[in-house]
Amino acid sequence: MKLTRRDVIKAQAATTAAAVAGVSMPGAASNLITSSKETELQWNKAPCRFCGTGCSVSVATKEGKVVATHGDTLAPVNKGLNCVKGYFLAKIMYGKDRVTQPLLRKTNGKYDKNGEFTPVSWDEAFDIMAEKWKTTLKAKGPEAIGMFGSGQWTVWEGYAAAKLMKAGFRSNNIDPNARHCMASAVGGFMRTFGIDEPMGCYDDFEHADAFVLWGSNMAEMHPILWTRLTDRRLSHPHVKVAVLSTFEHRSFDLADIPAIFEPHTDLVLLNAIANYIIKSGKVNKDFVNKHVNFRKGNTDIGYGLRPDHPLQKAAKNADKAGGSVPYTFEEYANFVSEYTLEYAEKMSGVPARTIEQIAKLYADPKTKVMSLWTMGTNQHTRGVWVNNMLYNIHLLTGKISEPGNSPFSLTGQPSACGTAREVGTFSHRLPADMVVKNPKHREFAEKVWKLPAGTIPGKPGAHAVLHNRKLKDSEINCYWVQVNNNMQAAPNINEEGLPGYRNPDNFIVVSEAYPTVTAEAADLILPTAMWVEKEGAYGNAERRTQFWHQLVNAPGVAKSDMWQVVEFSKRFKTEDVWPTELLDANPSFKGKTLFDVLYANGQVNQFPSSDIKEGYENHEAEDFGFYIQKGLFEEYATFGRGKAHDLANFDTYHETRGLRWPVVDGKETQWRYREGYDPYVEEGKGVQFYGKPDGKAIIFALPYEPPAESPDEEYDLWLSTGRVLEHWHSGSMTQRVPELYKAVPDAVCYVHPDDAKKRGMRRGDEIKVISRRGEIRTRVETRGRNKPPLGLIFVPWFDASQLINKCTLDATDPLSKQTDFKKCAVKIEKV
Amino acid sequence: MKKLITALFTPFAFGTAILLAAAIAVAEPKISTLRGSANLDAEEQAPRMGKIENHDQKRQRAYPQQPPTIPHDITGYQVDKNFNKCLDCHARTKADESQAPMVSITHFMNSEGQFLADVTPARYFCNQCHVPQMDVKPMVENQFVDMDNLINTDK
Amino acid sequence: MSKIIHLWKSYWRILTRPSVHYSLGFLTIGGFLMGIVFWGGFNTAMEYTNTEEFCVGCHEMRENVFAELKTTIHYSNRSGVRAVCSDCHVPHDWTNKMARKMAASKEVWGKLFGTINTKEKFEAKRRELAEHEWARLKANDSLECRNCHNFDSMDFTRQSERASDQHSSALANGDKTCIDCHKGIAHKLPDMAGIH
Repeated sequence: MKLTRRDVIKAQAATTAAAVAGVSMPGAASNLITSSKETELQWNKAPCRFCGTGCSVSVATKEGKVVATHGDTLAPVNKGLNCVKGYFLAKIMYGKDRVTQPLLRKTNGKYDKNGEFTPVSWDEAFDIMAEKWKTTLKAKGPEAIGMFGSGQWTVWEGYAAAKLMKAGFRSNNIDPNARHCMASAVGGFMRTFGIDEPMGCYDDFEHADAFVLWGSNMAEMHPILWTRLTDRRLSHPHVKVAVLSTFEHRSFDLADIPAIFEPHTDLVLLNAIANYIIKSGKVNKDFVNKHVNFRKGNTDIGYGLRPDHPLQKAAKNADKAGGSVPYTFEEYANFVSEYTLEYAEKMSGVPARTIEQIAKLYADPKTKVMSLWTMGTNQHTRGVWVNNMLYNIHLLTGKISEPGNSPFSLTGQPSACGTAREVGTFSHRLPADMVVKNPKHREFAEKVWKLPAGTIPGKPGAHAVLHNRKLKDSEINCYWVQVNNNMQAAPNINEEGLPGYRNPDNFIVVSEAYPTVTAEAADLILPTAMWVEKEGAYGNAERRTQFWHQLVNAPGVAKSDMWQVVEFSKRFKTEDVWPTELLDANPSFKGKTLFDVLYANGQVNQFPSSDIKEGYENHEAEDFGFYIQKGLFEEYATFGRGKAHDLANFDTYHETRGLRWPVVDGKETQWRYREGYDPYVEEGKGVQFYGKPDGKAIIFALPYEPPAESPDEEYDLWLSTGRVLEHWHSGSMTQRVPELYKAVPDAVCYVHPDDAKKRGMRRGDEIKVISRRGEIRTRVETRGRNKPPLGLIFVPWFDASQLINKCTLDATDPLSKQTDFKKCAVKIEKV
Repeated sequence: MKKLITALFTPFAFGTAILLAAAIAVAEPKISTLRGSANLDAEEQAPRMGKIENHDQKRQRAYPQQPPTIPHDITGYQVDKNFNKCLDCHARTKADESQAPMVSITHFMNSEGQFLADVTPARYFCNQCHVPQMDVKPMVENQFVDMDNLINTDK
Repeated sequence: MSKIIHLWKSYWRILTRPSVHYSLGFLTIGGFLMGIVFWGGFNTAMEYTNTEEFCVGCHEMRENVFAELKTTIHYSNRSGVRAVCSDCHVPHDWTNKMARKMAASKEVWGKLFGTINTKEKFEAKRRELAEHEWARLKANDSLECRNCHNFDSMDFTRQSERASDQHSSALANGDKTCIDCHKGIAHKLPDMAGIH
């Protein structure tokens, strides 16, 4: 609508006249300034759909559409700010190619692995799924089915799925993509503290005197936390920022102490810092004596490769990777004594004086230090070790669990903490840090779930990387993928993932909102509701649980992941899935469906739909006839209450901008393990690491061990992969937002100008990035936001047309089973 | 072909889907819309590096709260703890000389909602919200509806 | 040894005695030619100090300013016309060039005595070093910029709107010179507190 100045004046005159006369003009008549009733938008809160920061977003809806989003001014996390992705959330659901109906590969009207995707009804989709699942369960047992979920599952989606898999199908082959993301962090927490997730919180940003980034590029990956760090640094000149990475990136723009280190030598640097602290007499002896034990971890633990891989065969302790023996402070001091500043310089390439500068930040008792890390540390074949070693230096100096002194493990996904970790959707876990291996934990879970003893199998299931191997080897034949794009995200796609999905023995189901490459590799695609098309809950990196209401309807017949899981459970009778012995011993379960047993169990279905706050739709409650989200949440919350994982009641979360657990007596906890902040610390203890039986955390003596694959004469470059600010993960949402797409349309290969020149390449040249496993075609970038050193290239993985994970190696940390996406050997050639 | 496939996923195509499915049967089972035309096990030519739209034309915002995209090239702009090239033109004190839009007043507000004498350090790194646009066509159309089209529907 | 002393003495005699054997013309032309040879040698040496190879011979230059230059438009661009260090940092006319070379010896001094031999020391000096260059370019009306970027040859219609506005006004009327706006185009800027 174009208006001339004349039109404007005319319209204004008309409205003024109407106002004077006390008549309200309908907006249409004014043709310009509509009444506030017409222009009114419905504003609601929802956590951001993207990273683990957990910003709260104000979402405007009108006529059943999301029409605007901005940073929630009432949110303590982001204080009214969003990053560029967050500001464009309003558009993520409206890509023209939304999957709106189930699609099954068919030829001549029948399912065919090599057929074309054909629209089918939910009934037909579930029929074929149930048939495949039942056949497989009968023929090969529960270990032949698998499910791959996500840290983007809402709390109850993950909970419903874990319950269906672990108790319903009695298979622990469920794992989230958080395995690619946070598994090493979990391993680090469990090993050092015996309980998962950070002790500190985001308030540490406003209290720290120094920030040390270990391999993290917060400026791009956690932009809003970066704004808080930037605010602190620029407002307080005494504050120092140290940035350590294997290549220069945007976070270096704020660095007082920049350091580029040789990949994998963070292990050396951390031991050198520990050694410096000890040698300079800066150990907080009182703290160490009272609150710390020492242990020496097993070494030579392999690389999580297939057992027949030469590296795996050569590893002495591949089967005892997690083992450790008691140690003393003196032994530990002696152990790290070989890690001198000079040795560290030689290994890492970081000047000794720079290492000393960083070490001094930790050593100086007056400097409050916040260490921050994410994928550089976690996606590492010694990721758990690096996590352990980061805690070592905070424990040696007692710089932990108080404002500003904070080893802080940042999270990649919006609910990696809230769902993947807290709900326990890992193949070895149960809710509230419990594990399937522990008979007491299983017993507890079975009681909460009102299921017969012995329902949950005690053998940990296959982890993410093993899923793809087992699919390829025909050991898992029925596989359901939800809320992730693993064909783009998993390592070594060519040799494991793609052959696994396309293996004729297998039936692959992918629940998706958009036709991703993973959907393309599937046999059945289920149309899925996303973000505010359903009621949800996420838990962020600082233990904050946040809720949102369903604000709009999903397109077509798309349904939430939780709906799909629960609806699918109706297709199975206990007789189909449980052994006769179990049913004979518990005859009351005979003849019931998994829906009856798992969800209509008197708990999950105890809240009526009328409990839903007025004015909000809820498509799951509408179909199931009860407030299922509330039922699932309250049942789930019983796992953690009284066990230092306390969650508030369901309704509270809809009213707040989230609360940080443990929430005891309605009060959240900012700093755990510290008396005065954490209600779980016994009076007079001061500090109590109550995750361990004796209340003491563990400092682990761990050495440097080489990476799984290093550059050699032929494959002469390191390849590091990662994200960019404008796109989130595989880009399946952000690449469909025109402004974000146009900001960074394609992946490029960041190369040092001299490395390019040496190979006769220039900026913009098309090249192949080639590893022993696969290759992609991309373009040379010698400028821009990332400046790799000689010998290293960086390729982001958001671009579906440049699947860089064809090149990466499926080597994992043997402890956490998390892939090292930051290190493998490649070469580049001009096309 | 790609258009047909895209149409298959639109909510409105449900009725005609069977017809379309027949058309698709002869094509590759290619459905991923963000991956050019190469099958998953193949690689196609990487697109040329695009050019940044540099015509200084203000673009309409999708909604009032949207941070405006940058209508010019910012290659080589230094924004670090030493210097902020963006503020060199967009600062309040530079607007007269540069005729560039002054940074929004919201940027002067600190996290407590108090206005400061200058841009808050929390908003120092402009690129976190404001990005330039390359001269490329999006691979997938977005059907986001402008709120302006939802008011006065009868006009 | 005595032979050499003898030879030296006889030459000394020749040099100090008015010419008997050589014509004045020969001496004049010969002297001129030798002058050219020496002068040429001096200039060749001077020219060598103007090459990028010489400038980035030390790690202080190579790892700091040269590394920064590599990602800028003055190193790689559409037409391939690029600047080497001396294009911007060494005046073209002789007097100024010599003056600049004398000044540069201070940088060599810095090199010898390690005043900028680490990244931190270089960063600490960055503002001072940059200020010298800005002052010099301000004083000579950005002469080294203008050696390539000739104002009369600028086609404003080929520039972005913002650029053409500024160039046709402030630059055209002499209010501003290139360096006023184009600081930090080839290297990173120092802490600009108080400058902007």
